[in-house]
Amino acid sequence: MTPKHPRDVTRRAFVETAAVATAAIALPLPPAPASIGGAPKKIRIALIGCGGRGTGAVKDCLTSSESIELVALGDLFPDHLAKCRESLATMVTEDPTLKPKIKVKDSQCFVGFDAYRKVLDGNADLVLLATPPAFRARHLAAAIEAGKHVFMEKPVAVDPQGVHAVMASSELAAQKGLALVAGTQRRHDAGYRAAIERIHDGAIGDVVAAEVYWNQGGLWMKPREPSWSDAEWQIRNWLYFTWLSGDHMVEQHIHNLDVANWAFGAHPVKAIGVGGRQQRTDPAYGHIFDHFAVEFEYPNGARLRSMCRQMDGTAQRVGERFVGTRGTSDGHSVIEGATPWSWDPQAPKANPYVQEHADLIASIRAGRPLNEGRQVAESTLTAIMGREAAYTGQEVTWDELLSCQQDLVPTELQFGPMPVPPVAMPGQTILARSWRSA
Amino acid sequence: MGTNLTLALLLAPWPSPARGQAAGRLVPYRDSIPKTLVTFELVPVPGGTVTLDSPAGPRVVAVPPFWIGKTEVTWDEYDVWVYRLDVAAGAPGGRDSADATSRPSRPYGAPDRGFGHHGYPALAMTYTAARAYCAWLSARTGRHYALPTDAQWTRALEAGLGADTSLSPERRDALAWHAGNAAHKSHAVASKQADALGTHDLLGNVAEWVTVPDGAPVVRGGSWAEPPARVGPRARAAQTPAWNETDPQFPKSRWWLADAPFVGFRFVLLTP
Repeated sequence: MTPKHPRDVTRRAFVETAAVATAAIALPLPPAPASIGGAPKKIRIALIGCGGRGTGAVKDCLTSSESIELVALGDLFPDHLAKCRESLATMVTEDPTLKPKIKVKDSQCFVGFDAYRKVLDGNADLVLLATPPAFRARHLAAAIEAGKHVFMEKPVAVDPQGVHAVMASSELAAQKGLALVAGTQRRHDAGYRAAIERIHDGAIGDVVAAEVYWNQGGLWMKPREPSWSDAEWQIRNWLYFTWLSGDHMVEQHIHNLDVANWAFGAHPVKAIGVGGRQQRTDPAYGHIFDHFAVEFEYPNGARLRSMCRQMDGTAQRVGERFVGTRGTSDGHSVIEGATPWSWDPQAPKANPYVQEHADLIASIRAGRPLNEGRQVAESTLTAIMGREAAYTGQEVTWDELLSCQQDLVPTELQFGPMPVPPVAMPGQTILARSWRSA
Repeated sequence: MGTNLTLALLLAPWPSPARGQAAGRLVPYRDSIPKTLVTFELVPVPGGTVTLDSPAGPRVVAVPPFWIGKTEVTWDEYDVWVYRLDVAAGAPGGRDSADATSRPSRPYGAPDRGFGHHGYPALAMTYTAARAYCAWLSARTGRHYALPTDAQWTRALEAGLGADTSLSPERRDALAWHAGNAAHKSHAVASKQADALGTHDLLGNVAEWVTVPDGAPVVRGGSWAEPPARVGPRARAAQTPAWNETDPQFPKSRWWLADAPFVGFRFVLLTP
C-alpha cells in the first residue's frame, strides 16, 4: 500500500504501540490441522456462570467450530443452573445438530461459591467464564492455574486489584500456551476490523479526538424476596453494586472504551469526569450511578470524550466516533474525508459473538493461542479510571490507579449480612477503598 | 423523565375523543394513552373485498369497515409501554415493581439504532411484543386495538392507492422510504406523502407486522432496508433466524429482534 500521508513522530509512535497491542490477535489464522480421522481433536468445554449470556456463549461456542462438546456447568445458584439445563434442552429442540455436542452429566453440574473449583477439577479443555464481573479475576486465576483455555466475558475486573490479577493470569497463560479470549466482540466484528485497520493505516490521518457513547434506558431489577440475605440480594441484582459489576460505566461502556483504545493503539493516561444518580435513586438499585461524562487523555495528548447513561425516557446513543486530521469515522461502517469508505450493508457478516469463539478455537488448534488478556485488562482499567474520576471528583491518572489500594470484592464470600456502601460523593470519596472498611 | 408524566398527571383526563362517526359517516378519530400526553390518530377504511394469495390459489376475502393507524406506532407511544411512563415513579405497584407479564424486557443498548426517536417508528419488536402492546393499549383505553389481519392491511393499502395500485418509481418515491432513498435508516412517520385514505408509510419505512389466519405472522409493505423493487403491495416476509442472530443471550429475547431494525407495526380498531 502506498503511504497515504506523511507519518510524523507522534503518529509513528502510535502505530508502533498499536502494532504491539494488536499483535496478539493477528488474524486470520491458518485452517486447523485435521487429525487422522479428518475431524479436528475434540475440545471439551465447561460453563461457569449459567445465566442467559453464559448459556448464549455455550451456543455460540458449540456452533462456531467442529468437535466441541459441553461437559460441565457451574453456578452459584441452583435455580440458575436448573434454568440453564432447561435452556440447553430447548436449544437442542431448536437445533438437533447440537444434541451430540451437549453431554453434561448430573455429576458434572455444580452449585455454590466453590462450584467453579469443581468444574475446573473436571476434564474440560476450555472454560467459559460468564459470572458477574466480581468473580472474574479469581476464576481466571484458578482456570489458568488448572491449565484451561479461557473465554471470559467483559469486564474482567471491578477494581485495580482485579486488573493486576488478570494481567498476571494473562502472562501465565502465555507462558503455559493457553488461549485467553474476552467477550469484547467488536474486536471480532468484520466491520470494526475493517474500519480500525483503515484508521491504523492512516485513512483519517492522525487521530486527534474521539467520542464514545453508551446512553440507554434502565435495565432489569429483581425485587428483593424475603428469603434473600443481603449478599444473595446483591448478587442477584449484581448490576447495581460496584463491587459486583464495576458500575455501568465498567460493565457496559467498556465496549466503546475498548474500541477507542484499539483505534488509538494505546490506553489513556488520565481522566476527569462527572457523574451521579438522579433517576434511579431507590435503594432497590443499590448504590451505582446512572450517568457519567468523562474526558480521557491519551499519551499523545489526544482526548476522548465518553458519555454513558442508563435513564428511562432519555436520548439513546451507543457508538464511537473518531476525528482525524484527514477525516472522521464511526469505527465500524463509515470513513468520511480524504479517503472515504463504507461497509457494504448488504455484505454478509459473521455474527461476532460466534466469530470470537471460532477465532479462539482455531487459535488453539493451530497451536497459536490468542491472548487478549492484557488488552481487555487495560480496557477494564480505562473504564475503572473513568468511574473513579467521577466517583472521587479528582483527576485520576493511570499510574495512580495501578498503585492505589482499592479492593472492593470480599475475600471470602458467603450468604449473610452485607451492608451497601454509600453512593459515591465527589470531593469526599477516595480511591483507596476496601470491602474491609464497608 | 418527569416532564411528560408530570404534565400528564396535571392535565388528566384527556378530553373525550371524537368517537369516529359524524352523522353516520366514518371519520378520522384521535385517541390517547391515558395518564400521558401521547395521542395517535386513526383513519377509517371502507369495507370491501381483497384477493389474497393462498396455497390453494387466489382467495377473495370480504373485509368489513374498520379504522387503521394513520402512522406506524412511534417511539413516543411505545416508550410509554416499555418504560412504564404512564405509572408514577415511586407509586405503590409503580415503576419499580416487577411487571414482567404485561411489559417487555428492558432493551439492551439503543433500540432506536440512532435513526431518530421522537416521531420515528418504534422498531425491532417481535410479533409477540407488537401483539402485547395492542393488548396493553386495549386494556388502558377500553377499546379493542389489534394488529391488522393480512386482509385488513391489504384492504387499507388498496383503498389508499386507489384503483391503480401500480407503482412508478416516482410514485414509490413519493409514498415510501426504501433503500434507494432512505440513506440506510428509518425516517419520521408521515414524512412521506399520505395516500388517498390519509395513511402514511404503509409501504416502506418499517415493514409492518400483520396476523395471518392459520399461519405464521408476516411483515408487509417492505422497509427502508429493502431495494425499491421489494417495497410494494405484494411485499410480505416471515421472520428468519437472521432477524435475531446476534442476540447474545439464550433464550433469546421474546420482545426484541437484535437484527431487525426494519420491522415495526401499526394497529386497527373495529369499533371506536
